[in-house]
Amino acid sequence: MASFGRFLLRRTLQGALVVLGVITVLFVLRHVTPGSPVDFIAPLDANQETRRAIAEARGLNEPIYVQYVDYVLSLVQGEFGFAYRSSTAVRPRVFSKLPATLELAGAATIVAVVLSIPLGVLSATRRHEGPDYAATLFSLLGISTPNFWLGVMLVILFGVQFRIFPTSARPVGLIDAAGHLVTVSGGVGFPLDVAGFSDAFATWLRYITLPALTLGTYFTALITRLTRSGMLDQLGRSYVQAARAKGLPETRVRYHHVLRNTLIPIITVVGLQLGTLVGGAVITEQVFNWPGLGSLIIDAINARDWPLIQGSLVVVATGFVVVNIVVDALYARLNPQVMD
Amino acid sequence: MAPFDPRSLYEWLTDRVSPRTRRNLRSELDSSLLAKLGVGILIVVLVSAVFAPLIAPWNPTAQTLDDKQQPPLGFSRAETQVSQEMVDGEVQIVEETEYIDATVAHPLGTDALGQDMLSRVIYGARTSLLVGVLGTVLAMAIGVPIGLISGYYKGRVDDALMRIADVSLAFPSLVLAIALVGLFGQATVNVPDPFVTSGLSEFLRGLVSLPGGLSYPPGMPETFALPGTVILVVGIVNWVWFARVARGEALGVSEEEYVTASKALGGSNRYVIRRHILPNSVTPILVLATIQIAAIILLESSLSFLGFSGANLSWGFDIAAGREYQTTAWWIAAMPGLAIVITVIGVNLVGDWLRDALDPSIEGEGGGV
Repeated sequence: MASFGRFLLRRTLQGALVVLGVITVLFVLRHVTPGSPVDFIAPLDANQETRRAIAEARGLNEPIYVQYVDYVLSLVQGEFGFAYRSSTAVRPRVFSKLPATLELAGAATIVAVVLSIPLGVLSATRRHEGPDYAATLFSLLGISTPNFWLGVMLVILFGVQFRIFPTSARPVGLIDAAGHLVTVSGGVGFPLDVAGFSDAFATWLRYITLPALTLGTYFTALITRLTRSGMLDQLGRSYVQAARAKGLPETRVRYHHVLRNTLIPIITVVGLQLGTLVGGAVITEQVFNWPGLGSLIIDAINARDWPLIQGSLVVVATGFVVVNIVVDALYARLNPQVMD
Repeated sequence: MAPFDPRSLYEWLTDRVSPRTRRNLRSELDSSLLAKLGVGILIVVLVSAVFAPLIAPWNPTAQTLDDKQQPPLGFSRAETQVSQEMVDGEVQIVEETEYIDATVAHPLGTDALGQDMLSRVIYGARTSLLVGVLGTVLAMAIGVPIGLISGYYKGRVDDALMRIADVSLAFPSLVLAIALVGLFGQATVNVPDPFVTSGLSEFLRGLVSLPGGLSYPPGMPETFALPGTVILVVGIVNWVWFARVARGEALGVSEEEYVTASKALGGSNRYVIRRHILPNSVTPILVLATIQIAAIILLESSLSFLGFSGANLSWGFDIAAGREYQTTAWWIAAMPGLAIVITVIGVNLVGDWLRDALDPSIEGEGGGV
């Protein structure tokens, strides 16, 4: 297993390099975009004296390479700086928005995985029959529908017309809901406030349903397509015939042998599409007024609040890199050939 | 300038395609209903986009507030409003029923400013297709050379270029696109519409007489706003998918014996890449290009929806506008969205057709918003 350790180490180093690249790109972007930071920080009627003082305090008068090194070093230490507009610290603002986005992305992933894999298997094993056509049609629609439009339509249908689900907002988070199970002192208290928890959880579920469907549909469709074509490819292999000839029950052949081999390419593609998931979350949050990273990023860009832009994008990119390393490690375990 | 002959273009194109490929494309198209559907959809969208000033019933930007929020055909409705009024010194409750009829003049209804939805949907095809195609061409122009060089030279060059690709992948494309457009501003280029400035559209529209004594309303926008920054940005954001596919192909092709032979005969690296590596990598790149057109159309509509595009005749822009009226006029958001779905389905079906006909071993990888 030494080779696996070395593989992991190499991927981690590569990942660190990518994060450094991301930080560098953001630094360059900040310096090539028009407008001096002082313009965004200083009040409109500030005199030269004040402006100089601000530039001095923010280290904007240093040579560019000093600024770069300072910037990288402070980020590495987890120091994200202060927003231009409100002069509030960036790190708590970014991390306070993170749970909402993670909940949304997680719920969408659950929707996608739970729906797509059975659908893909069904489609492949009953090829050219009703279920296959239905699944193919669904996945074609799913990959062709812009998620924000789907969100607006779901709101119109289930929020406005039938009033089944709320149209927007996130009144409780998952952590708030779980708070009902924990006493003030932090320990698990007795009696547990199970009723309070399930109430809060039900509210959370009601509010996240439409956003999760909105974000999850594209991935459901994508993974359904991949599962179907992967299964069809594998079902034609000779090992399947061998397994059947051995007298293994068909369900065992399908799920134990064929589906397992199909999952390998699916994991790669899903790992690569994680960026799409985050991008989708950004726009889904806009549709549903979901108070996550997406709204923060868009507000920050509109206000050209660089520390906030940098902080949130570095967090997003680092998350992407970390998840991809995990995906690669999973992949290497499933298919040791890739550890070249 | 020599007169343009569409046949010569067709011949030039088909000359570049081997008879076997042509046969494969043909037989796949004949046997697949979905492929036919995709080609059909794309032709309709393409014709709408190119000939928008001739086809659109109304000027898409003409506002007639009297006709605002008219429902699409088949969705006429009556609205009852209850109000209190003073009649002869007494307060009475008055019920007023307002009939909002759909009309043939606006088959897809009108928006909150009384602009014709059908005309806006037809004009929106221009923005989507232009950004989709030009953005893909740009992404290809950046990504393919990088990928080919990476896969051909391997080693350090490959490592360096692929780390750059990894950095690019670490930014979600929509987020990066928002950041770039937001920071560099939304430059749009006003392109004169040749059909309108030449007077051709006015002339042709004058010839058509509509049933029921309706006249074809004249006057179409003289210029068309091309969202320049958006095209640049979607190209820059999506180069990495082309680089990955081109690299994979180059890695494989550069091991072939004819490449070794060409090098042994004294072919320079540049020559070998152009003469052997590129032509033998074309198929998967083409298939990816169709997937990317679909992805970029979705990306453009997302940018417009978020207000980061600058184009005001765009499907995403109209969906954002329609959101404001989601309780009263669902069609304002619904119609342009349907147009996106249908167009993207068309592009995806054509992509499937190309893939199945040219190289069934390719799996779609890149894409998504």
